[in-house]
Amino acid sequence: MANKILEIDDLTVSFDGFKALNNLTFSMNEGELRVIIGPNGAGKTTFLDVITGKVQPTQGKVRFKGKKLSGRSEHDIARLGIGRKFQTPRIYLNLTPRENLELCCNQNKNVLATLFKPTPKAERRTVGGLLETIGLDHKADKPAALLSHGEKQWLEIGMLVAQSPDLLLVDEPVAGLTDDETERTGQLLISLAESHSVIVIEHDMEFVRQIARQVTVLHEGSVLCEGTMDQVQNDPRVIEVYLGTETSITPEQMLLLRIAATMAWADGDFEAAEQDIILERLSRQFAQATDDQATLKTELKDLLAKKIPLEELVPQLQTPAQREQALMLSYEVIGANQINQAEASAYHKLVTLLDLPAETVSRLESATMAHGSNGAS
Amino acid sequence: MITTKSVGKKRRRTLEAGIVIGLILFLLFIAPLLLTDFRLGLLGRFLALAIVALGVDLIWGYTGLLSLGQGIFFALGGYAFAMHLQLNLAGDGIPEFFGLYGVSELPWFWQPFYSLPVTLIAIVVLPGIVAGLLGYLVFRNRIRGVYFSILTQAMLVVFFNFFNGQQKLINGTNGLTTDTTLLFGQQVGSDRMQFVFYVATVIVLALTYGLCRWLTRGRFGRLLIAIRDDENRLRFSGYNPAMFKVLVFAVAGGIAGAAGALYTVQSSGITPQYMSVAFSIEMVIWVAVGGRATLGGAVLGALVVNWAQALLSEQFPEVWLFFQGALFLLVVTVLPKGIVGWFRDDAVRQIRDLLGIQPQLNTYPDLELDPDVKREQRELAGK
Repeated sequence: MANKILEIDDLTVSFDGFKALNNLTFSMNEGELRVIIGPNGAGKTTFLDVITGKVQPTQGKVRFKGKKLSGRSEHDIARLGIGRKFQTPRIYLNLTPRENLELCCNQNKNVLATLFKPTPKAERRTVGGLLETIGLDHKADKPAALLSHGEKQWLEIGMLVAQSPDLLLVDEPVAGLTDDETERTGQLLISLAESHSVIVIEHDMEFVRQIARQVTVLHEGSVLCEGTMDQVQNDPRVIEVYLGTETSITPEQMLLLRIAATMAWADGDFEAAEQDIILERLSRQFAQATDDQATLKTELKDLLAKKIPLEELVPQLQTPAQREQALMLSYEVIGANQINQAEASAYHKLVTLLDLPAETVSRLESATMAHGSNGAS
Repeated sequence: MITTKSVGKKRRRTLEAGIVIGLILFLLFIAPLLLTDFRLGLLGRFLALAIVALGVDLIWGYTGLLSLGQGIFFALGGYAFAMHLQLNLAGDGIPEFFGLYGVSELPWFWQPFYSLPVTLIAIVVLPGIVAGLLGYLVFRNRIRGVYFSILTQAMLVVFFNFFNGQQKLINGTNGLTTDTTLLFGQQVGSDRMQFVFYVATVIVLALTYGLCRWLTRGRFGRLLIAIRDDENRLRFSGYNPAMFKVLVFAVAGGIAGAAGALYTVQSSGITPQYMSVAFSIEMVIWVAVGGRATLGGAVLGALVVNWAQALLSEQFPEVWLFFQGALFLLVVTVLPKGIVGWFRDDAVRQIRDLLGIQPQLNTYPDLELDPDVKREQRELAGK
């Protein structure tokens, strides 16, 4: 078994009763490159704050290479070998890139050593090499305030490396970068991961796909799931918290559509054209404009491709009214054409899952029939 | 490229050393010939104020700690020296003023100041330790920015009230006079002793300049600037900024103590007024006028502002305070980098603009060599 570089056990951080992190448990092997994703407010930055000592945990332990981190100050933790890059680049604007790197490269960070010891030759060489790696050697002696945003991001990553930590924490390294710069940043991180353990927090899914091997999803302060990018992407809970919030209609509406569509798909051998008609009809339920309908159709199609069974979808309905709505919509979909055996059994399963009183079911069915025929005429 | 750069740096350093030595020689040998005794005395006092300005520049200009309480350390140095001189005069007895308040026994804390070496050390070390202790308490608790400034001013008021109220310990609001006292058997107020103090001030100023230059160049100096720019970031790089700030605040305190002692003996004595709020704020104004984060600026600012004050208050006694306010406004709005900062960064360009000379544009050299850019330039020229 590989050595654990970071172990977090049952960690809770609360600010005035609001739990930014909630019983979070996390561990990571030495030499691993881990990407952490999660919607806004999932607790990603607080997670880094706790590791680096900026925020003290309310409850729970953080261990780095087997050493407890709670109670240590930020500079102490940094000296243990944890480096952090901030969301917006934080560099010393009045110093040059070379001086920025030299400050971080300094191996003895005592007051007196900093004052009396001249910069060793080896450190100067390291800094020279780093400047080349991050592509700033031609601007090494200009004030860092004159650098572009991308160059500042790179300089901060360079400062992180100069510190030669064992664990790098990188918070949104590609925010505000061009596609080309993003690509190069990804390559840089991958090459860094060869000799360091790295945690990257990122929003940009394209970028995550480029670098990720192992992904951890945070949601409401806890780990939602972990795995490879493919596993995570197909996890229904992740789709719920991630895509669920990104669709063009509310999650509740989307859920209704998905239940109806899943039902209709039970048949399994639809023609492409037939599928299209059903999707078309469903998307018209909640979207007026043609453009919106088209987006909704693709979103729905993507979600159906995940093949999530009814058993998981139905329990997510919150109120009886929603359950009734789901029934009506599904009945309308399958009632539109000849009901075959597979559809009938799927519908039956849905009715059982919905757990509505028998008279309600028959009332809704007849109401839908009447409405449907009106619509057709 | 690196070699040309280091040669440039070396040349700049030699130039700076040359200028400093030239100025010292000028102040020591030529200024006494040009100025009357009265004017030379003024210059000596202003040079002492330039020393404290160097300390303010060190903590404010470089490290970003705006202290409004440097008067504490300035006065501590002054009191230390004045106490020694008072004891010298009293000989075997106790200083005269104690008689006014019916004190017959010397307070215990006066005892060490019988000795000149102890006094000379105390002038620098005592304010340094006080500053270090106060700094440690403040910086450890991460008190920064405006709160730090307010706190230093509050400390100043506390010290002022203490010294002002303790007649039986240090003669309260009357302070301690020095010009009638003796040092090496000579009267401190005599022309000869005043010239000795003038020379001592020039030498201490030069030494302080050297100390500040040593602190602000190299890695330590860059660290001070990093504290000013983004102190919290520094923690995540593994530095503890609190200890660096304590050290630099203590050094500035020691510098202020030396300045206070030299100013006291050239001003015929010390009173708690040295710890007035206005005086400590003036120290900050000198540095702002001369140019923050430029050591030359701190010295220049102290000399220019005080010389202007001396001249103006001779001609128009009531006008000076208005003038000082206007000067500060002018600096903040027109010369935010101070005189030296303006001269270094903007002067050449602005004077060129005034004369209508087209400046040579500094673009990226690699852009100039780009074939596409060259082609476009040719096309533009053709049109």
